[in-house]
Amino acid sequence: MSRILITGMGIITAIGSSVEENRNALVKEQGGIGQLEFYPTAYAGKLPCAEVRVPTEILNKKIFGHPDPAITRTGLLVLHAVEEAIKDSGLLSEELASVDTALIGATTVGGMCLTDEIFRDAQAQDKGSPYTSSYDAASSTLDAQKRYGILGEVSTINTACSSSANAIAFGARLIRNGIAKRAIVGGADSLAKYTINGFNALNILSKTHCAPFDKDRNGLNLGEGAAFLVLEREEDAAGKKRYAALSGSGNSNDAFHPSSISENGEGPYLSMIHALQQAGLEASAISYVNAHGTGTENNDETESRAMQRVFGKVPPFASTKSFTGHTLGASGAVEAVFSVLNIHHQELYPSLQFKEPIADTGLIPVLHHRKETVNHVMSNSFGFGGNCTTLIFSKA
Amino acid sequence: MLYIHQTRCLSPQQTLDEIDLNRLTVSGNGKLPVKEPVYPQIPPGVLRRMGKAVRMSVGIALPLLQQAVQPDGILIGTANGGIEDCIKFLNQIIEYNEGLLTPGNFVQSTSNAPAAQIALITRNRNYNTTHTHRGLAFENALLETTLLLNENPEHYYLVGAVDEISSYNYNIDRLDGCFKEEPVSNQDLFLYDTPGTIAGEGALMMLASAKPSGAIACIDAIQTLHTREHALVKQMLLQFLRKNKVDPAEIDLLLTGENGDSRLKGYYLDAESIFPDHTALARFKHLSGEYCTASSFGFWLATDILRTGQVPAIAVKRATAKPCKKILIYNNYRGLQHAFALLSQTG
Repeated sequence: MSRILITGMGIITAIGSSVEENRNALVKEQGGIGQLEFYPTAYAGKLPCAEVRVPTEILNKKIFGHPDPAITRTGLLVLHAVEEAIKDSGLLSEELASVDTALIGATTVGGMCLTDEIFRDAQAQDKGSPYTSSYDAASSTLDAQKRYGILGEVSTINTACSSSANAIAFGARLIRNGIAKRAIVGGADSLAKYTINGFNALNILSKTHCAPFDKDRNGLNLGEGAAFLVLEREEDAAGKKRYAALSGSGNSNDAFHPSSISENGEGPYLSMIHALQQAGLEASAISYVNAHGTGTENNDETESRAMQRVFGKVPPFASTKSFTGHTLGASGAVEAVFSVLNIHHQELYPSLQFKEPIADTGLIPVLHHRKETVNHVMSNSFGFGGNCTTLIFSKA
Repeated sequence: MLYIHQTRCLSPQQTLDEIDLNRLTVSGNGKLPVKEPVYPQIPPGVLRRMGKAVRMSVGIALPLLQQAVQPDGILIGTANGGIEDCIKFLNQIIEYNEGLLTPGNFVQSTSNAPAAQIALITRNRNYNTTHTHRGLAFENALLETTLLLNENPEHYYLVGAVDEISSYNYNIDRLDGCFKEEPVSNQDLFLYDTPGTIAGEGALMMLASAKPSGAIACIDAIQTLHTREHALVKQMLLQFLRKNKVDPAEIDLLLTGENGDSRLKGYYLDAESIFPDHTALARFKHLSGEYCTASSFGFWLATDILRTGQVPAIAVKRATAKPCKKILIYNNYRGLQHAFALLSQTG
């Protein structure tokens, strides 16, 4: 079986509007968490978030020339990242429009970033906003399907915060089974009153900058963004960029609680083990782990335990959510792009804001950017509902 | 190749346990709601906190999961998951101006809640995913199941679909032009040549494996397509049949998602035109109503037809004398999302 390579990438997050800008911020250790400038919520100025510093109108104009009235911020983030990934991979318009091209998106919030509009439309108080077709999860993927006329398999996955990791794994599965020759895979989420208030009601939003794996961590910061990767079979990738190979994926449900992970991280443990098995790798082969690392009390402790169970001696690891915030449905793809960059540039990215390890586990993440030999990177994504997914990327 | 071994279908019609499609449940106010059964397997404390979509899907999944060996994965297609909970939470946000809110609705509202709750209640730590791609959510979950079975022929999976009517999504869809303006009952759904249809809801759960032994039906192939071009849909349908080495004349029944919407009628007529007169025609949206995963009702009906060899009179558009062994399902969601599936009798 031919290997599956990443031949193009696109990303937009609080730390930059391109792959290059994101990497520069990671290398310079400049995080993107701060007070909200654009999104209107009662929590602006109170709960720090990692906002994409481009207003929706500007994104809309940049992508369409003239603003499309029915498109949501989530849809615009998708188009921004997909466009960069396609250009990067050099996919031709006839390739995009063929039945051999799959498009797999992922989101949790979708068009519900428009909280007030959806409220009014749901009450049917007036004639309806321009967004009545745009609230569901599929709409942002359909924006990209329409723009490029993609005729192959198109899906949208929502497994909460592991959504886009599952989109990547599904895209690879389509290629392995001959359903698609290439797959554009990723996900997006925008900041929304829905998630800001939801996570706040659960008491897991930090009032400061999140400190993943620190003993005094006090919650996560929400972020927003989109990331997409182009997957192609090695045999079709001659003359193309060969950033890395997607060598394995694992999926498990923790089956413990709707919004927290079991004490010993059974689901995370199993998703890491399954990914290693699919990649045909020993745990000791992993050079670096891009952890889920949300900065909540529950996640970081259970993930630490699960990593100790998988690795014994845990390899260098970090949570890049300390840069981008938790981009929810986009986070699996955002961190997949970072994992691929680890391999492509042979370097490790740090966790910001870390001071002291969790007493029970004693794990210390990578604290500064450094060059290192990187052969295999593991990326973890765990979501509400116990949905745990692990991806492994390897040197191409 | 995916073999269906057991199914449970909760719909507006009598499709659960004592199947009886001779007595049509009639819609009111343009909506066809399901008649929910009691759910003895769900602990009462848990049941109270469940929204309708979660309740329906978990409620019909649990009786299928009594085997000693757990399924190797749970794959659910749902466009909206617990939309009722979701909008209840949005209402809280507006009503209390982002004040102190209770998280219950928020946690229940994520679309992965049905698959997650089934896993949680049955302690299933295996593969678990949720496809939410609007009118193709169920087909995508099914397609992924066939791929998992290709890779793991010894495995078996729970694959299903669910979507609910809530007053909120009904209102949004109505504003978006989904439903007929005039009062039309499902009995007369195909008599009016006007835009729009009627709303429905339901849940389907199936146990699927790669093993024919004991199976009630086989899904030979499935393919989806996004386009609004009529000619392209027809061309792709012909290609789909060719690729699967099936001549249109070999199809005993074309089962379509025709839903009384004048804007979609042409697509269905084009599909019918491919097949000779000895191919029977049937439809199901007057039984299920229209919703994003309504095609799951079509899959259930096709499975039942293959099991009995008979097309229920209520679904027939054009009858033929031949026993029904091979079915093509064509569903179209709002003119953009198309799905073709080939099903055949086993044994």
